[in-house]
Amino acid sequence: MLAQAAVPRDIGLFEFLFGSKYWTGADGILASLSDTVVLCATVVAVATAIAVPLGAGLAHLRRGELSVTWIVTLSRAVPTFAIAGLLVPISLRRGWGFEPWPIFIALLLVAVPPIYLTSYTAVKEADANTVDAARAMGLAERNVLFRVELSLATSVILAGVRVATVQVVATEPIRAFLGGDGLGRYVRDGLGQNNDNLLLGGAILVASLAALTGGLFGIIQRVALPVGVRRLVHRQP
Amino acid sequence: MLRMSPATRGVSRSLVALVAVFGLLASACGGDDDTSTKATEPTTAPTTEPPNAPVADGPTIRVRGQDFSEAVTIAEVYGQYLAAKGYDVEILTPAGFRTEAIEGIANGDLDLIIDYIGGALTALVPDAASSGDPEVIVSIIGPEYEKIGATLLDYSPAVDGDAFVVRGDLDATTISDAAGLDLVLGASAACFERPQCFLGYTDPDIYGIKFGDTVTIEYGPLLGEALASGDVDAVIWNSTAPQISKDGFKVLEDDLGLHPAQNIAPIVSTSVLDAYGAQLAADLNALSAAITTADLVAWNVETDVNFRESNEVATEWLTSKGLI
Repeated sequence: MLAQAAVPRDIGLFEFLFGSKYWTGADGILASLSDTVVLCATVVAVATAIAVPLGAGLAHLRRGELSVTWIVTLSRAVPTFAIAGLLVPISLRRGWGFEPWPIFIALLLVAVPPIYLTSYTAVKEADANTVDAARAMGLAERNVLFRVELSLATSVILAGVRVATVQVVATEPIRAFLGGDGLGRYVRDGLGQNNDNLLLGGAILVASLAALTGGLFGIIQRVALPVGVRRLVHRQP
Repeated sequence: MLRMSPATRGVSRSLVALVAVFGLLASACGGDDDTSTKATEPTTAPTTEPPNAPVADGPTIRVRGQDFSEAVTIAEVYGQYLAAKGYDVEILTPAGFRTEAIEGIANGDLDLIIDYIGGALTALVPDAASSGDPEVIVSIIGPEYEKIGATLLDYSPAVDGDAFVVRGDLDATTISDAAGLDLVLGASAACFERPQCFLGYTDPDIYGIKFGDTVTIEYGPLLGEALASGDVDAVIWNSTAPQISKDGFKVLEDDLGLHPAQNIAPIVSTSVLDAYGAQLAADLNALSAAITTADLVAWNVETDVNFRESNEVATEWLTSKGLI
């Protein structure tokens, strides 16, 4: 992140998106893209590590069913930008800098609810006959959860992770407005410098990345399913 | 009867609906008529007019502040002052920044805006060389405002200019001193493309500063937070930011005269000015002359540090100066 070179105001949209000079370098689109991807991947990984065990475990024990209702309601009401904006001054005063904590926590709050909800619901709704059969065969509770319920829940949980990831990728650009960089910087600079083509180019980049992420997860969802479950899923219309 | 009643009910219900729709349409049109007559024709003075009002009737003067606290207070000061003088004034909800203000006065949505002359220069004539002399700037922007049907009145001695702000303990008094210090600069996105800002600081023919790093920060209090915490060593802020004295920062002197003069000045739609005659210009010029840079700082302390409402701060100041 060297001294920023301003993108000229009279630049065309096409020129910005396809000019190699704007893609490379310490300050180019590729560098911003990797900033964004690294942060989003970390957030989703941590969110998954928190939400899947929590959701699946509680669902297996049939505990905390109210949490689902609460989280469905509350997660809609979380003002991500306000949370990140409130955390930035706190982070600065404590000497932790602009990044990554404020934006990380704000994005984590975006990512955890959908993953938690799908994990909880999928494990709870796992086919009761199959689960009973597994118990009757003498599987330990741990194996009932890991080998039966979670296996059956995989596709739904992956759908939750997919939703979370797309939301995180689409929300991450607010980081540029809070002293950070990443792909959102083109939107921010476009707004600040009255440069509509830069603004639009940035928006296209962010939207493309979000769409691409969604597509990538479509492939993962196909590949990552256990063979038995894949047959089950495919048999259903 | 039993068979008739649902039918009659249906008819009467649709009648009610029709009436309601017409009523809404009528009131909407009525609203439009009201405002358009107000805007174009002389109307009777508002009931809030003080008894000593000597001014002639004229069109409503619509004033709107730009959407940051200092500009909001300035708009309140000008608006309340004119209202107290007996002009028909409407102070609109603050919105937008310079671009929207200039557009508003150009397309007739606004009749009075107050702007910083150096910033207006950049907006109206982007290629013009900036100047530290307000006279030079008004000689360029005056004719530009005339082209869009507006008149630039006298500028005020009150200045809110760009400021190169550092922590108080930094060993520098001028911006030139900062050249060799490898500072981390925090500034808004707009600064990084402006010749009077980042481009001027780094230009080897002007200041030639080599910054250690740069951070783009949303313009506002976050600049002060970042400077106080040490995440950046210098920020480009405005000289009337109240945090500068509160947090022990200092403004480095612009020894090479890069920053343009940023006096505030009212811009009035020429048609409104003509409708009221010389009195309106004289009243506005008298107010502009009374405002000082220290007043701007004091207002910002009230609104940004003590979190008071801009309209109260404006009323208080006008009262204390005996202007209303």
